[in-house]
Amino acid sequence: MTATLTHTPAEQALINALEGATGWRAKLREATRNAGLPTRRHELWKWSDLRRAANDVTTAGTLTVAGMEQLASVADGDRITLSVNAVDGACAGEAALVVPAGANVTLVERLAGEADALGNWHLTIKVGAGARLDRVVIADHHAKAVFVGSAEIALEDGAHLNQTIIDTGAKLSRNETHVLHPGQGATVELGGAYILAAGRHADSTTVVHHAGPGCQTKQLVKGAVASGGHGVFQGKFIVDRIAQQTDARMTHRALMLGEKAEIDAKPELEIYADDVQCAHGNALGTLDETALFYMRQRGLPQAKARALLIESYLAEPLDMVGDEGLRDELKAILRRHLGALT
Amino acid sequence: MLKINDLKCKVETQDGEEKAILKGLSLDVPAGEVHAIMGPNGSGKSTLSYVLTGRDGYEVTGGDMHFAGEDLAELEPEERAALGLYLSFQYPVEIPGVPTITFLKEALNAQRATRGEEEVSAPEFMKLIREKAKQLNVSMDMLKRAVNVGFSGGEKKRMEILQALVLEPRFLILDETDSGLDIDALKVVSDGVNALRSPERGMLVITHYQRLLDHIAPDVVHVMANGRIVKSGGPELAHELEAEGYDKYVGEAA
Repeated sequence: MTATLTHTPAEQALINALEGATGWRAKLREATRNAGLPTRRHELWKWSDLRRAANDVTTAGTLTVAGMEQLASVADGDRITLSVNAVDGACAGEAALVVPAGANVTLVERLAGEADALGNWHLTIKVGAGARLDRVVIADHHAKAVFVGSAEIALEDGAHLNQTIIDTGAKLSRNETHVLHPGQGATVELGGAYILAAGRHADSTTVVHHAGPGCQTKQLVKGAVASGGHGVFQGKFIVDRIAQQTDARMTHRALMLGEKAEIDAKPELEIYADDVQCAHGNALGTLDETALFYMRQRGLPQAKARALLIESYLAEPLDMVGDEGLRDELKAILRRHLGALT
Repeated sequence: MLKINDLKCKVETQDGEEKAILKGLSLDVPAGEVHAIMGPNGSGKSTLSYVLTGRDGYEVTGGDMHFAGEDLAELEPEERAALGLYLSFQYPVEIPGVPTITFLKEALNAQRATRGEEEVSAPEFMKLIREKAKQLNVSMDMLKRAVNVGFSGGEKKRMEILQALVLEPRFLILDETDSGLDIDALKVVSDGVNALRSPERGMLVITHYQRLLDHIAPDVVHVMANGRIVKSGGPELAHELEAEGYDKYVGEAA
């Protein structure tokens, strides 16, 4: 028996916006039609109630992607920049990237949702044998945007993924990454930094599925959340029985900058092999008061001292970005949002 | 220059309790002089340094403290720093991720901005810090590292004095600067401190042991016990303390 679901205006708008769409967008449409948008009752969305966040969305909107033509033929040394914009209401877009065997490719995604948009963006990525993908995602949304970005990344043997996501939050901002890790010399580095002012939410959800022997994975996500901000970290490593000698480390650290900051973290290790090195560390703290006093005693005003401490705290995952110019840009974005914070 | 009058202060401890530490301390350090404060553990020596520099959790409950004519209790820590007050910490803090050079340049320029002075340019600053680093045997390599991260105790104390050489304060409070130093480090640090002596500068040297005072000769020695200054005298007072200990003063203060 199929119960008829009453859709919210946002859900109806998204279904309408995706009328006639194929591929992943069709799946999104049907999932929305059958079950609505996820709410906090869904385990994987319990801290990111999408239906609730999209309450103010009542119309279909537009998602535009500048730079898609770069995906047509990808070659060694390419640097691809995609600018994804979501405006006016519910919308979705998708793309596929294939990194040829042995090639070194950089992908920069700039995600910008406007106020009252409900944007959904999905990438399917294949990284060929021995190839390397450096992926940088910059989620820089309007405070009132709702945006979900996701990627499924499958690596071939000996491939390398180095991914960094910086998120300055939104009404709801979620970045979801699923990685299929074959081991056999392949390596995965996942970095993330989030900085959230009051009223902003950011959710980093990742799953790395280790499916072959000798996997190497390192994940470092750091955040700074002001009073009234909400950070979410959901990290999962699955290690199949045949993924022996996997070395996978997950670290999440966050600073609460005020008493009413909220940070929810759920690190998960699901391990079926018995000869592995897997670890997950999760630590939440506040700014070091002694360090702050030391800095003020040297003449730094309180706001500047706090900013310096937060900036240096968040630099760690950003230093994992290979490209120096990109790294500096990411630091500049964080610095700009820091100003709004302290 | 530094005038403390019947100062009383209480400290908030870890478990939220309040404890009176300074119980009517009076002290007068004129410009150009070096005064030493010696006392047993628990006498309130570090508390004095924290209440003078404005650390959170240290509350003045009576008396007053003036520096260069200004009432310190009215000023934020960074304002007291800009006024020229400098504390060499007993336990210098590590600040991971903030390179020492960056930190010092920001600090110097922040003080100058507060005073309405022009900022130091990057090349000017590099010249300044190279010069001062040489004086204290501090390598440029060390300066590129994060503040105090991975430094030995002696290196941290040397860095405290290097920072003072760069910031050129009007008044230095040295809180147990000699703790953790071997003879060589003690000499290097003392030379740095002595290089800062001037008719316009005052210093308060807080120490438990007399040894430091062989290298940094004080003009006046004060004995502190139970939150107050209980005796003041010339440098020979330090030798007396070394020979006889603090017992007779602790008894007196109680």
